Amino acid sequence: MRPVIGAAGPLATALLAIGFVATLVGGPIMALQAELDPAELELLGAPAGAPLSGLELVTKTNEVAGLMRCPVCQGLSVADSPMDPAQAMKRKIERLLAAGYSEEQVLSFFETSYGEFIRLSPKPEGFNLVVWLLPLAMLALGIALVARRVRAAPQDAPSGEELAAYRERVRRELGS
Amino acid sequence: MALVVGGLISLPLIVLLALGFRSDPRSIESPLLGLPAPSFELEDLEGRTVRLDELRGRPVVLNFWATWCQPCIVEHPVLIRTAERWAGRAHFFGVIYHDERSKIERFLRERGEWGPTLVDPGSDVAIRYGVYGAPETFILDGSGIVRHKVAGAMRPSELERLLAEVS
Repeated sequence: MRPVIGAAGPLATALLAIGFVATLVGGPIMALQAELDPAELELLGAPAGAPLSGLELVTKTNEVAGLMRCPVCQGLSVADSPMDPAQAMKRKIERLLAAGYSEEQVLSFFETSYGEFIRLSPKPEGFNLVVWLLPLAMLALGIALVARRVRAAPQDAPSGEELAAYRERVRRELGS
Repeated sequence: MALVVGGLISLPLIVLLALGFRSDPRSIESPLLGLPAPSFELEDLEGRTVRLDELRGRPVVLNFWATWCQPCIVEHPVLIRTAERWAGRAHFFGVIYHDERSKIERFLRERGEWGPTLVDPGSDVAIRYGVYGAPETFILDGSGIVRHKVAGAMRPSELERLLAEVS
C-alpha cells in the first residue's frame, strides 16, 4: 500500500501554492478595497475586472482619465489637467483600477456624483444619439450631393456636333 | 432643392442653439438631488470625528470652500449670519476643498467660524458629492436627502429660503 502522504503530496503542494499566490495577489487587493469607504464599496459592487499594477495600471489610469472631463477646466480631460481636483480624481481612478474595478465601473462611479457631464464623450443613447448620428447624416448628405453632381456632369457635356462647331469658331477667330 | 437642403441643415442647428441659449452652461444639476446624501466620516480641525449618518433630524448645510476662492470669502459672512440665526435648528459644516490646513486655520482665526470645518483627505468626499468648484453648497433635509445644490456664493436670503424649504 502506497503511503497516503505520497498521494496527497502533489495536491497539498498545489493547494499551498494556490494559497500562497492568492495571499500575494488577494492581500494587496483587500488592502486597496479596505481604503475605500464602505458606502463606496456598496456603490461599486464587486470588482468586474482584473486588478492592475505597474505599467499596466499607469497606462489604464491615463486611458480612463482621458475619457473624463476635468471639472474645473475648459475642455480638458482629467489626464491632461494639472489642476488639483483633476489630480485627486486621477489618484482615485488609479486606486479603483488597482482594486480590480473595470473601466465602466470607474466611469459609472464618477457619473453617480458628477452626472454624465463628467464623460468627455456622451454615451450613444437617447438624445445623445443626435451628436453621434448627425455628423454621419451630414456626411451621407454630402456624398449624395456629390454623387448627384457627378452623375449629372456627362449630360451637361457638349455633344460632338457642338464641339466641332466650337472648334471651327475658334479656328476662324484665330484666323487659321 | 438648395432651399430644402439648406433648411434640413440649418433647422436642427437653430433648434439646438435655441435650446442651448435657454439654459445656463455653468449650471450643472447634481444627480444626487432627491437621493440619500453620500455618507462620510471626517475629522474636523479640532480632531473630532463627524459622521453624517449621526446628524439626522435637522437640515445639514455642507459647504465646500477654500481660502484661494474669492466667492468663498464673499460668502463667509453670509454663512456666519445664517448659522447664528439657525443655531439649534440646522447643522453647518465646511469641507476644505483643495487648500492647506494652516491657511484655513489662519483665515478662520481672522474672520470667525460658522461651524466645524472638516478635513477631506484625498478629496474623497468632494468626489463623492461631485463638486465642480468652490464654493459649492449642498443642503440636506432632516432625513439625509440631498435637496439643493448651490454653485457659487449664496446670498443671505437664498440660504434662508432653501433652509426654510427643507425644514
